[in-house]
Amino acid sequence: MDMVTLAQVAGNLSAVGYGLAAIGPGIGLGIVIGKTIEGTARQPELGGRLQTLMWIGVGLIEFLALLGIVCGFLFS
Amino acid sequence: MTIAAASGISLFIPQTYDIVWSLIILVIIAVFFYKFFLPKFQAIFDERAAKIEGGMAKAEKAQQEAETAKKKYEDQLSEARVAASKIRDDARAEASHIISDARSRAETDATQITANAQRSIESQQQQALVSLRGEVGALATALAGKILGSKLESSDVQKSMIDTMIEQLNDGKKER
Amino acid sequence: MAGFYSAQTLVAASNKPDYPTIQDFLPPEILFQGTPFAINRIILVRIIATVVLLLVLGITASRAKLVPGRWQSAVEWVLDFVKNSIVYEVMGELRGKRYVPMITTVFMTIAVFNLCGEISGLNIAATATITMPLVFAIWTFGQYWGAAIREKGLGTYLKEELIPEGVPAPVLILVAPMNLLEILIIRPLSLTIRLFANMMAGHIVLALCLATTQFFLFEVANKAMVPLGGLMFVAGFAMTLFEMFIACLQAFIFAILSTVYINLSYPEND
Repeated sequence: MDMVTLAQVAGNLSAVGYGLAAIGPGIGLGIVIGKTIEGTARQPELGGRLQTLMWIGVGLIEFLALLGIVCGFLFS
Repeated sequence: MTIAAASGISLFIPQTYDIVWSLIILVIIAVFFYKFFLPKFQAIFDERAAKIEGGMAKAEKAQQEAETAKKKYEDQLSEARVAASKIRDDARAEASHIISDARSRAETDATQITANAQRSIESQQQQALVSLRGEVGALATALAGKILGSKLESSDVQKSMIDTMIEQLNDGKKER
Repeated sequence: MAGFYSAQTLVAASNKPDYPTIQDFLPPEILFQGTPFAINRIILVRIIATVVLLLVLGITASRAKLVPGRWQSAVEWVLDFVKNSIVYEVMGELRGKRYVPMITTVFMTIAVFNLCGEISGLNIAATATITMPLVFAIWTFGQYWGAAIREKGLGTYLKEELIPEGVPAPVLILVAPMNLLEILIIRPLSLTIRLFANMMAGHIVLALCLATTQFFLFEVANKAMVPLGGLMFVAGFAMTLFEMFIACLQAFIFAILSTVYINLSYPEND
């Protein structure tokens, strides 16, 4: 580090990228799980079915976040 | 940098020996679970369920028996109660019967005694009348003979006189 | 930019904590190098975990009694949980019976392998390479394709999946490849990467906390940093507990998603 450089940002930009990539799935998961809880609270007898559907949705949404992890390594 | 990048993505590339060991381990565990562990526990669960069901059936039977016995006792109790009240009623009826019997018997006795007394009084009266007729006649004849002398010796006169007198007596008695 | 990866080369300088790197997940082979049976640290951990799992559960099963003791009740509780709360909850008893052994195996094995990451001495999850989750995911993949072919036939299954009812033809151009991609690649891959990435992240966060603790408490000369080291130790303690929770949660998610995927291969009506 020479004297001209006053401030330096160290680290991997992939981490920032993954942070950005995780925002979308995070919001999506929040909505899916929250809505499932809401639905179950309204109609507890449908809880099992709602939970199954929730897991399918969670699997799909989470794949985006997981793709973010892989891409961070893939394109660095 | 290139080495680092290569090793980064190599995280997601399975290695041959890794695949081999993963498969070996998975197969071992799966065989263990499928062939030994789960059947063993399933057997335990089944046995327990059977035991619990048997126990429940036994308890139910016992309860049924208890209920039958209770019903029987209750029936007997109510029967006994009915019998007791019947006996009490009978006794009461008999008592009143005895009392009325005794009363009627006493009444009959009383009337009988009264009738007997009446009869004996009447017969004594009759007797007294008969003997009075005889004695009073003789006495009066004798008295009159003494007073009148032998005028009244003839039995016919005597007889008619007495009769007249007695009739007068009777009349007098009636008039009184 | 290269700081994250080059940290490893700077360890010798000892002016930085001994940060964990992704090299932790690519350990050198220590036995049978170069053969298909090479063993590295993670595989050793995996073998040890397997042996312990088989021994403990084997002894439990062989000593199982009608009236359970404490340990046996705990094991029975887990079996009951997998059977009722995962399989029967999703599939119902009629269909689920067939898959109870598989899901139980998957759940218990993944849970134990994940928990290795928090056991001192092992310190890395046995599922922390891509391969172990991948093998489990391929098992699930085979099961749901098998169920689909058995219950519906391959043609019907593909037709139902690729051409859903009530979707207009133009949209179908998008939907059909996406669905094909989903049933062929996304499902197994998401199962695999979810588990692997969780274990990797867990290990890195935990190692980060403990490495920082070690650095600030013992290696750095400036004693003013000791409270920070203590804070990191508390954080490491909390993360250990959190990772134990995550280990069980990931096993649960893997098991329930496998069940859901298999159930999706069955016809809709019961």
